Amino acid sequence: MVTDDRSTDRPILQMRGIVKQFPGARALDGVDLEVRAGEVHCLLGQNGAGKSTLIKVLAGAHQPDEGQILLDGSPVTIAHPVAGLKLGVATMYQELDVVDGLSVAENLYLGHELASGGFTQRRAATQRTREILRRLGHPDISPHREVGSLSAAGKQIVSMGRALSHDARVIVMDEPSAVLDSEEVANLFRVVRELTSQGVAVVYISHRLEEIRQIGDRITVLKDGRTVAGGLPAASTPTAELIRLMTGRTVEYAIPRRPPVAADAPTVLKVEGLSLRGEFTDVSFDVRAGEVVGLAGLVGSGRSEILETVFGARRATTGTVGVDGRAVRAGSVGAAVRAGIGLCPEERKSQGLLLDEPVYRNITLSTFARTANASFLDEPTERRTAREQIEALDLRPSDPDRTARTLSGGNQQKVLLARWLVHGCRVLLLDEPTRGVDVGARAEIYGIVAQLTAQGVAVVVVSSEIEEVLGLSDRVLVLSEGRVVHTGPASAIDEHRVLDLVMEGSAA
Amino acid sequence: MSEHGTPASARVPAADETARIEGSGGKTAVDRRMRNPLRGAAGRNLGLVIALLLVCLVGFVTAGERFASFDNLMTILRLAAVLGVISIGMTFVITGGGIDLSVGSVIGLSSVWASTLATQTMANDFHWSVMVFTALAVGLGAGVVNGVLIAYGRVVAFIATLAMMVAARGLAEMIANRQTQVVRVPAFSDVFRLAPLGIPMLVWIFAVVAVVGWVLLNRTTFGRRTVAVGGNPEAARLAGINVKRHTMYLYALSGLAAGIGGVMMLGRTTAGSSTNGLYYELDAIAAVVVGGTLLAGGRGTIVGTVLGVLIFTTLTNVFTQNNLSISAQAVAKGVIIVVAVILQQRIAERSRAVT
Amino acid sequence: MSAPLRRRWLAVAGTAAALALVVGCTSNTPEDTSDDSTGAAPVAAGSGNDEPGDTVTIGFSAPAADHGWMGAITKSAVAEAEKYSDVELVQAEATNDVNLQISQIEQFINDGVDAIVLLPFDGAALTEVATQAMQAGIVVVNVDREFDDPNAARTTVLGDNYGMGVSAGHYICEQLGGTAGAKVAEIAGIDSLPLTQDRSRGFSDALGECGLEVSNRVAADFTVQGGEAAAANLLQAAPELDAIWNHDDDQGVGVLAAIENAGRDEFFMVGGAGSKNVMDAIKADNTVLKATVIYPSTQAADGIKLARLLVQGKSMSDLVEVEVPRTIQLYAPVVTKENVDRYLPTAFES
Repeated sequence: MVTDDRSTDRPILQMRGIVKQFPGARALDGVDLEVRAGEVHCLLGQNGAGKSTLIKVLAGAHQPDEGQILLDGSPVTIAHPVAGLKLGVATMYQELDVVDGLSVAENLYLGHELASGGFTQRRAATQRTREILRRLGHPDISPHREVGSLSAAGKQIVSMGRALSHDARVIVMDEPSAVLDSEEVANLFRVVRELTSQGVAVVYISHRLEEIRQIGDRITVLKDGRTVAGGLPAASTPTAELIRLMTGRTVEYAIPRRPPVAADAPTVLKVEGLSLRGEFTDVSFDVRAGEVVGLAGLVGSGRSEILETVFGARRATTGTVGVDGRAVRAGSVGAAVRAGIGLCPEERKSQGLLLDEPVYRNITLSTFARTANASFLDEPTERRTAREQIEALDLRPSDPDRTARTLSGGNQQKVLLARWLVHGCRVLLLDEPTRGVDVGARAEIYGIVAQLTAQGVAVVVVSSEIEEVLGLSDRVLVLSEGRVVHTGPASAIDEHRVLDLVMEGSAA
Repeated sequence: MSEHGTPASARVPAADETARIEGSGGKTAVDRRMRNPLRGAAGRNLGLVIALLLVCLVGFVTAGERFASFDNLMTILRLAAVLGVISIGMTFVITGGGIDLSVGSVIGLSSVWASTLATQTMANDFHWSVMVFTALAVGLGAGVVNGVLIAYGRVVAFIATLAMMVAARGLAEMIANRQTQVVRVPAFSDVFRLAPLGIPMLVWIFAVVAVVGWVLLNRTTFGRRTVAVGGNPEAARLAGINVKRHTMYLYALSGLAAGIGGVMMLGRTTAGSSTNGLYYELDAIAAVVVGGTLLAGGRGTIVGTVLGVLIFTTLTNVFTQNNLSISAQAVAKGVIIVVAVILQQRIAERSRAVT
Repeated sequence: MSAPLRRRWLAVAGTAAALALVVGCTSNTPEDTSDDSTGAAPVAAGSGNDEPGDTVTIGFSAPAADHGWMGAITKSAVAEAEKYSDVELVQAEATNDVNLQISQIEQFINDGVDAIVLLPFDGAALTEVATQAMQAGIVVVNVDREFDDPNAARTTVLGDNYGMGVSAGHYICEQLGGTAGAKVAEIAGIDSLPLTQDRSRGFSDALGECGLEVSNRVAADFTVQGGEAAAANLLQAAPELDAIWNHDDDQGVGVLAAIENAGRDEFFMVGGAGSKNVMDAIKADNTVLKATVIYPSTQAADGIKLARLLVQGKSMSDLVEVEVPRTIQLYAPVVTKENVDRYLPTAFES
């Protein structure tokens, strides 16, 4: 999949000994990066390794304190983002920086509008936008379309289009696949290959190792603001080696094996004939104590909606949810929580955390009323409980007074898990438990799930990474367009089969 | 009262941190507990205290003894009392992610309703507190209507309370027929002439409401829910908090505070009028925001609000002492609001940059 | 933030309030020696009363100047105080917030001023604090809006709203000469205010004496735009008119604009309050505006003078009485082209 003629050996971008000092923190401490024209160069590292700072230096948003940047062999200073664009370095940030209220063409030429005598040349802009969209393999998007009406994938195309409108030679993509489902990822990769075949270099940042193997040519690994390895071949470097380089530890990446669910394990969660108009229809499943049931399907298959409905955050049109044989009142989160159901939602930041509140209050968000004496908070108990969880889950940093905002994705996920552990739940619903979580923390989260099942908790997992669903679960429900198209043991099915089922389901 | 972790502490390796906690037992926890509220409060309110001292300094320099007298202090506090009480109610609403534009009108409505001929006759026949309970019930009722519309009727808070602001004022005018209703319940007026320990009744009420408000926000489940609902309503809901019911409570609380404000106004002016409390909602919002409560919700401070109210009222006092016009004072107020909000944003950005 | 907004919003209520104040004191000019009413109390120049005496500190507080008349109240009070070397005026420009105005009176009490001249936003609401001032030995002079309790002030200076209506009615009777069935319209201020009701009652009583009645009546809100809207509606409703009385000269600007727009001139108009604009128009005699009825904007200035006399223990030298009277009600004269020059100096700028 990686052909040598695609990338030449000529380095188009070199960064040497980059140092960036922030008050109280040395974000970059000597980073080297060499990117060749026409290659996909992957940047790997745990959260906090310095990837974000590095791309901000490259984009001109930060100025390095030391070190050199060379473009085509000659040293350059990128004083501000516009200078970066002029030099041909474009960055696509994780939070897509498109303006929803403007059209595609207007977004592409935002800040460098084609104009003569103060009047924008709309026709010329439209024409060139059309060419760029064609180059990106998306002639279907109209230049006049309002960007707000596009999907996340569509917005990404616009963002890439903007990079091309500047004749970018280096495009930095910060976790471009985070917001996409597998089909859209496949399309993204097609566009990336298209770009590299035209000699554009892509610096690609992702947590997903399997993606990097698929699309990447070479890998640079960052750890604690330093380059620990550069130019590793993406296809052949062993996973264990990459994890060792990133974390400095050897972590078992594989999902821990769990003993099979005892034959006499009681049914904890019983979902019967659950439907939500417009989202999913007639979903039934049981989860036994200590069992993990996975819901596999594409974005829009109704998998997150099922979890939210079971949790009472949405009111089911029909159907019932029962825990330990007792029916749970529909449409009431309070009732679900009292019945012992917990949910770690898909969007941790917007649905799970009080970002500006300290970690311990996030951990006790479901239990502070229980520990309170006659409505007066018992903060010492809250802190003690939180501290126990912080130790048990190896939450880092371990300060319970830190605000949740400052934690990495993996540690934020641990905060949510800790919340339900403190509450003590019979059923735990996990929606995308490892999205935006780096490799090290991922393994830890899998470990926590294993521990929970050992204690007899029933777990339901949703993930857009089919491998993860299959690896974690005892049984899998495959969803397609809001219907269950297959139910069976996870060991009896593989990723391709799941995708086939999904396709068949949507064709039906 | 959250405390942002410093980068230094963030960099302590996990193993060391664990060891330290285990090694020193509960001591670290105790230290931190004692240190944090102090540091947090001081850090956040220091700017306000400095601003208040500056205003006082200007007052002392320009008006001398006239400013720095006990009587003048009481004059400032009496002026601050009504605004202070409704600002404390407003602090809860804003911390909970909402806004209440109706408090000024509800002051007018409750003061009018509590001073109608019928209410006053009842007060004379039974007990003066009939007037107090009437005003509180009117305030609470208006607040509950706001809360139900916003929480269960899904009307945007700005619109629902704007509607209440207009309607309550209109209702007050209808009840009073645009006339001033003089209080002729001597027992009622006498209560507000009392000054236990030399401190006027209005100031006592303000102080009690402030203390109760502080405890409620910082020490009870109600306060914690308020912060959670304002900080991230979806997260609060998914954690099992009844967000709608709590939202309703917040507006009811603000309405109740406005009802208390109505009673205080009645005590101070010995007259119920539909013009009472006109535009107090704007002053209250300004004081709350200047005090450091985030307009977006999720963080609130009663101490800050009290300081915000005192800054504005002391400023008014200093301007009056110096014969300066209200217009100049309005300009000064505007500048203070803008500066305070800019500072707040700076602080928020800095706390966010510690990733 | 709130004050300018508050101003504008209060323009309505304030204007109304302002009108409540309209008092006919024309007494601060020496040649004005009207003696035909119980209220008019000229302080004769050269009586010795103006000789400097002990220094008197007077605190002055009035509602926000959101109406031309109210602006004039404060301006004339300050100007009057400046004429006396023995008067030190402490001015607290209040808002229309009674809470704040009370606190200003409290500050005057703390400061131990000799006298307070107070035009309250709401008479009843300021009664309590005024009583406190009196108890503290401060001479309180109440202007225009009466306190709830007569003991809250030593002396009260009032305008005559009923009298305004009477004067306007009499003038119209005279001009129409008893024409049977003459159509007379009235453009009132804010209808629910007692002062408006008093004016209308006086107007209707006076018209009744010559056998006329108000055939069309509309109410505005003391603002220019309100006057314009009310007058436009009135002119639409009444195709033929003989006379109009408009309660307030500030809203009169709008009324005249509406008349202009409608191209009507078959009637004459009488104004109210006595703004300089209107008096200039009467003098120029090129519009339908032929007269106005004064509600004096100088009553606070009289309050200052009276406060000074009271503190210095002087009497009103044109009266036999040795003490300053408790109540002084001012007269509401009609200003026409013939006598306009006499009133122009005390007209207010709107």
